[in-house]
Amino acid sequence: MCTTDRKLEPFRGLIALFAVFLVAVAGSAAVLFVLKLGGGVGRFYAPRTLPGLLDVAVPHLLAIPLSLFTTIHLVGWVGLVRPRPMALLSRAAFACALAGIAGGFAVRYVHPALATVKIAAFVGLESLLLIWLWLLCATVIRTRVDVEERLPAQTAARSA
Amino acid sequence: MKFLLNPTAEVAARARPPVRVFLAFSMLLVIGLAAQRAASGGFSPAGVRDAYAGEAASAVALWEEVHQLAFLYGFLTLAIGSLLVVSPLPARARSVLIGAMAAATLADLFAPFAILALRGGGVLRLVTGVACPAALLAAAGAAFATFASPQGPGPSKPAPGGNGHVHD
Repeated sequence: MCTTDRKLEPFRGLIALFAVFLVAVAGSAAVLFVLKLGGGVGRFYAPRTLPGLLDVAVPHLLAIPLSLFTTIHLVGWVGLVRPRPMALLSRAAFACALAGIAGGFAVRYVHPALATVKIAAFVGLESLLLIWLWLLCATVIRTRVDVEERLPAQTAARSA
Repeated sequence: MKFLLNPTAEVAARARPPVRVFLAFSMLLVIGLAAQRAASGGFSPAGVRDAYAGEAASAVALWEEVHQLAFLYGFLTLAIGSLLVVSPLPARARSVLIGAMAAATLADLFAPFAILALRGGGVLRLVTGVACPAALLAAAGAAFATFASPQGPGPSKPAPGGNGHVHD
């Protein structure tokens, strides 16, 4: 794990930058959710067309799993989280993403009451993204700390 | 991914063709984005001001743009920057390219909010609209030209506390 930490060091700034953009993605998603849908269940009841639903769903089917995959992969590199909680957090995030994307279709074609599920999925995904972002920041800090602790030790070992 | 963490000459050479194709597509994407912005009046101060602070401007359109660009810039800077890190460029050139890319993308992403706050200043987005594709193209172009170059000096050597990557 320590070797991996050391190897991650040159990418630390890039991971921090990626985290900033991920904050912007998650934050703007929350703002759009409120602006477009009012954040209330009632706003989901208005019928939407299939092309309209697909216009939203298709790009998100690429963007959300890709963002989650990259973030989880970066956090996993350092091994900050034990495998079991890591797997649980990953599954929960992907499940919320899928429920959120499918939710629009469910409200339109299954039952309007499923709007509550869509809102819950969105809130769940945003909350889990915050946790992953925190872990991503911890990854950046951990890498720096690890390198700072390691460099003097390596120099001493070489001179000995 | 192996060539990012363990960039030996052999591994990097094997990764060179797909990496260069990816970078070529990235450059096409950046050029396409700039052309799209130019076609929608994004390269005139008045056009920019009207788009964000004019009467027909909408908050939803602004936030949708931020949402899409944040995703796009996040992945472009991570991918291109990571490839630059393992390219045989001098450490200073790498830092300049990555720093310029980070500053330009962040400035372009948040420039619309400055325009709203100033109720004008369309020229600001004009500047970031030129600087952002220029910085991304320069970084992608440098990575394209140097990544695992057969004539190049090979993967960079680690620098104590610097940006050089590490061999075990």
